Amino acid sequence: MESDRDYSADLAAQEAAAREYQPQLEGPLVGERTPSHAITEAYAKADPVYVQKTLALPQTYSHYRPVQGDGNCGWRAIGFGYFEALVQTGNAQLVGAERDRLIQFPILDHSEMVYEDMRDEVAFLMNDIQAAMPDQEAAMDVLVQKFNDLDVANHILYYLRLLTSSFLKGDPNATEYLGFIPEDIGVVGFCQNYLELPGREIEHVGILLLYNVLLKPCAMVIEIAYLDRSPGPEVNTYRIPSEAEGRDPSSLGPVIYLLFRPDHYDILYPHPPPSAAHDIQVHRVSALSHEHQIASNIQNNFQAFGDGAVDMTALTLIPGVSGLGMGMPPLAAPAPSSIESYSPSPQSPWMPSPFADAIPIRQPQPQLKQEQPAPSRRAMSVVSQTVGSRTPPLRFSEYCHPQVAENYTSHEPCFTTSTFKNSHFNTAHYNNPNFQPEEYRPEQDESNYEVVRPTGKRRSH
Amino acid sequence: MASQKRIQKELAECTRSPPPGMSIALASESNLHKWHVVLQGPPNTPYAGGTFGLVVTLPVEYPFKAPAVTFATRIYHPNVTNDSQGSICLGALKPENWKPASKLLGVLEAVRALLVEPMPDDPLEARIAEEYKADRKEFEKNARAYVARYAKGQPKFDGEAGGAEAAKS
Repeated sequence: MESDRDYSADLAAQEAAAREYQPQLEGPLVGERTPSHAITEAYAKADPVYVQKTLALPQTYSHYRPVQGDGNCGWRAIGFGYFEALVQTGNAQLVGAERDRLIQFPILDHSEMVYEDMRDEVAFLMNDIQAAMPDQEAAMDVLVQKFNDLDVANHILYYLRLLTSSFLKGDPNATEYLGFIPEDIGVVGFCQNYLELPGREIEHVGILLLYNVLLKPCAMVIEIAYLDRSPGPEVNTYRIPSEAEGRDPSSLGPVIYLLFRPDHYDILYPHPPPSAAHDIQVHRVSALSHEHQIASNIQNNFQAFGDGAVDMTALTLIPGVSGLGMGMPPLAAPAPSSIESYSPSPQSPWMPSPFADAIPIRQPQPQLKQEQPAPSRRAMSVVSQTVGSRTPPLRFSEYCHPQVAENYTSHEPCFTTSTFKNSHFNTAHYNNPNFQPEEYRPEQDESNYEVVRPTGKRRSH
Repeated sequence: MASQKRIQKELAECTRSPPPGMSIALASESNLHKWHVVLQGPPNTPYAGGTFGLVVTLPVEYPFKAPAVTFATRIYHPNVTNDSQGSICLGALKPENWKPASKLLGVLEAVRALLVEPMPDDPLEARIAEEYKADRKEFEKNARAYVARYAKGQPKFDGEAGGAEAAKS
């Protein structure tokens, strides 16, 4: 009897513990818009497929918004994307019309008392957005704040689940989804055990249904980028509806971009269309804070792949930080022989634009800062010295602005060593832990490459 | 706490048309999240003639988290812990099964159904479950003895989870 009691108490305790169990989730439910380089950094040490794909990611998507992975992230990401897209239209009338459409949608199989609080929260959200609407920023603040209030967000997201399950139940063409629905549970069972089960991740059919009930009436489109181990240099993207596949985004309605990693969705933001040069400047500034991460990415790449195969041509776009000095000539006159001996592979895929794009803005070293407070000006002055007046004040990445880059990058000197030489990976750099001052030897001017190359190998420290 | 409207309506529904033999009231008027339920043992069961107290606790996240239901009165049952906790093993209340679209009326009905038909294959009290399966007569005798000992008269809800002290002395 006594042991039985212990046993049952254990069981009860275990059950209680299971009931109370909450995985430790970090961060806000819906995070801030974050430069997508952060993803690249997070995968810098992952396996090469991920490294390659995440390095390519910032070329297409400038920012992402992390979404908490509590089992509702797909719902949360698409729901947030929908409201954000509404805000971006700037059309307060549309918000009102959508609110009316959503709250009048017939919810099947549940009494009103079950969902009225949820429906009310959706209505409140859309009222608040509408009220803030002339000011899109204020409307976004409302949205972010509501989506980060757990209680409010629970109500809103569950209403989306109910909309979706009601749509499925009420859809005479539901047979087209049957292929996705486990046969033994049927439509009703699927609604109960998948769509209406909180914390149950959205699946493909859930996304299709949510698209149909929520997005299709406003002509919105979902584009999902799959970050997985499938072969290929970039993430594969997939659009819902499939008719939107291959079309220019400008010919589509609002597009909600999602990043899918196995079992998780985040929101992505592509670069704005390359319409004006000042866009590019904006990106450059936004990359300022990533000096460290990019440096570490480079380091990791080198560790992973060895230096032999790395495409050094991309790095020629990077002006030096310290040792280069204003008066130092080598950039202007690379020795052809050293380039040949280096034999860069020009198409190497894991040296995409972020490096060329971001590294020029590396913070100058402290002493230099006093003389040259603005790193970009520094970069420019190097450029103008080396390639003369035909170079635009900014170096365009070929990925940001293909035509411009084509016209100008060909004039860039093809000297591949200054990057190493001037980085802290070089032992001659005072920031290197194994700092070794370099001696000036005039006879080595033509063979800088050989001098620097060993330091490239030292990166494993 | 955006669910006050719903809890109020659910409470109204449960008080208006409760499952047979149940009466529902708030533990205190100021708190919608704790209900006291008095359950008459269903007829034609060993629990007939007993009066059981149930405590329903709604988490602040309700309905996004399951309510908790416990017996405040001791009961001899395979699915209720035989102690002062009175925890109930009810599938619908498990976190992985709970749906915000479920209603408390349904939960209370399920608790009553559990007294009519215990589920010995999903027990909290393995010994009682064994006895229920192997020696129904002995089980019923013990259950009736518990009723006579603990479940006569108005149930007491003192203490957070009720308890053995609620037994009639």
